[in-house]
Amino acid sequence: MQIFYLKEEFLDNFLDILSKEYRVYLPLKVPGKAIKCDFGFQLPTDEYMYKIYSSSASPAFIFNPYRTVEPLRTFYAYPKEKVASYFNSTQENPQPEKKTAVLGVKNCDLFSMKIQDFVFLQGVTKDPLYEKRRGETLLISGDCPAFKESCFCLALGIAPYASEGFDLNFSPLNDGFLVDVGSPKGEGIAGKCGKCLKPATPAQVSARQQKRDAVAEKLKQHLKPHQIPPKEALQEIVTRGYNSKVWPEEALTCVECGGCNFMCDTCHCFLLSDEKFGSVNEKVRLWDACLYANFARVAGGANPLKYRPQRLRNRYLKKFDFFPQNLGLAACCGCGRCIDVCPGKIDIRRVLKRLNDEKSLSTP
Amino acid sequence: MKNPYQPLESVVEDIIVETPNIRTFVVRPKEEFEFKTGQFIELTLPGAGEAPFTPSSDPNVRDTFDVTIMKAGKVTGLLHDIPKNTTVGIRGPFGKGYPLDKFAGKDVLIVGGGVGLAPLRSLLFSLFAEMDKYNKVVLRCGARTPADLLYKDSLSQWANKKKVDVVTTVDVGEPGWKGNVGLVTTILKDLPVDLKKTVSVVCGPPIMMKFVTLKLLDLGFKPPEIYLSMEKNMSCGLGKCGHCRVGKFYACKDGPVFTYEELKDIHDIWD
Repeated sequence: MQIFYLKEEFLDNFLDILSKEYRVYLPLKVPGKAIKCDFGFQLPTDEYMYKIYSSSASPAFIFNPYRTVEPLRTFYAYPKEKVASYFNSTQENPQPEKKTAVLGVKNCDLFSMKIQDFVFLQGVTKDPLYEKRRGETLLISGDCPAFKESCFCLALGIAPYASEGFDLNFSPLNDGFLVDVGSPKGEGIAGKCGKCLKPATPAQVSARQQKRDAVAEKLKQHLKPHQIPPKEALQEIVTRGYNSKVWPEEALTCVECGGCNFMCDTCHCFLLSDEKFGSVNEKVRLWDACLYANFARVAGGANPLKYRPQRLRNRYLKKFDFFPQNLGLAACCGCGRCIDVCPGKIDIRRVLKRLNDEKSLSTP
Repeated sequence: MKNPYQPLESVVEDIIVETPNIRTFVVRPKEEFEFKTGQFIELTLPGAGEAPFTPSSDPNVRDTFDVTIMKAGKVTGLLHDIPKNTTVGIRGPFGKGYPLDKFAGKDVLIVGGGVGLAPLRSLLFSLFAEMDKYNKVVLRCGARTPADLLYKDSLSQWANKKKVDVVTTVDVGEPGWKGNVGLVTTILKDLPVDLKKTVSVVCGPPIMMKFVTLKLLDLGFKPPEIYLSMEKNMSCGLGKCGHCRVGKFYACKDGPVFTYEELKDIHDIWD
């Protein structure tokens, strides 16, 4: 893999080159809520949200030190979109969409794409919309020089920096960035940057490794008090805890907002619905949430997920049992978005720890 | 690439009133459409919604197919109000059908409850089409009342076929009803089958499937020989939308027909 060095002053050139071909999304800083307790780590509380870049009217590029508010999957499957129109519709030629480039992607997001790709690109058939967008989107990831209180990627064996799955990767270093090229698409962009990109020196690469290791070590210390069970044990913990009292207790504060589902980077469930616009009928796809009461309800009223604790448990079984059985990977990237969004303060780290504690209690 | 969400335009050519709340819709797709018995389709009422149904007709009949639908929810309620010649959409077929090759040379016990007889009628037609392949077909079906019994005329015709044995029952009788009264489990005694080489196929409401399965196990049937149709709320039919998860399976792509062997270690399958 080629590694280059990009001085910060050339960033604007880079973005201009990028925006000629792509509609570029950049993270924008927004003030976040203060954290009540972060075990003395005094972690940053700012949030980062995506905004479209335009060279004339854009704020200065901000390198987001950790993941954005939105999950990366929002670029591939939209909360509500038309997937078919029938029957008396004239054949429409879809407007060619400008390809999308996303900056500020983190390794947790990249891991989640393995889950999304498995769902939408494999199995019975590919999803044509997803395939098109996935193929046309340029992913520019970045190391995490910091982390949020809710970040727990390391507990799932995911590092706070990317080593695969990106087109280009940015690692902040001194007054610029080390730029890894991870794909032919990324190589194409790098090729157009000319003298902006200089080959990285071995000293720069080892300096980056030191920074990466330091962040990982700090995150490890941050996660210690949470006592998250080892990732190898999670499948057993959730399946053996099927009848645990943890589910009804944790579900007490669930208000069925579906936030944990919608903000989740690995959640993928949707519902097909039909709408009528004059004489044209459309099949639309809407994100769905398994925390919603009617998620599994069938005609006639039977509902295997009738109660909130069942639905909370279903979410964990899907992530830590269904996906390991079908893909060999747990469908959780440790991004902590579900923790941040939950108005009921249901914390996946605590749920897993409690299930684990119960398991050790019941083992003689 | 073909858009898997695009419904195929079709016309409801005929509507047969089967019982007070069950109708059979004869659907003629505008393009060639084939299905295997036990596979399901998504039937779209334009602009209103779609719902999953397993065709109830003979898969060897190619230009039309039947879906037998009980009025039970939003889409089925609207479907019951449509007149003949209404345009509908279909997507599919989805899932795995009944594994007929595994039934060859065996006695086939078919147990249906209520509208659960609909997919089983398609299976029966498939079996009858190649009756020399199977040892015999034993049908046991139940309904709430005599008026709720599906395909009454066909049932008596099937009973007269060679190598076919039919017994029906109703939960609650009515004046003039001379047949059996009792749950479908009560007519599973003294089955004229050779247990060593019999497969059983069950379709009906979850509570009925639960007790029939328990009864069959009690009678000595082995879990791999009990085929169950799992009713879940399939939406996409492609194993992507996530609604119909059953343990490690999706009912839409891994089912909707499962053996009890595949399901027996999964929690709460009858809910």
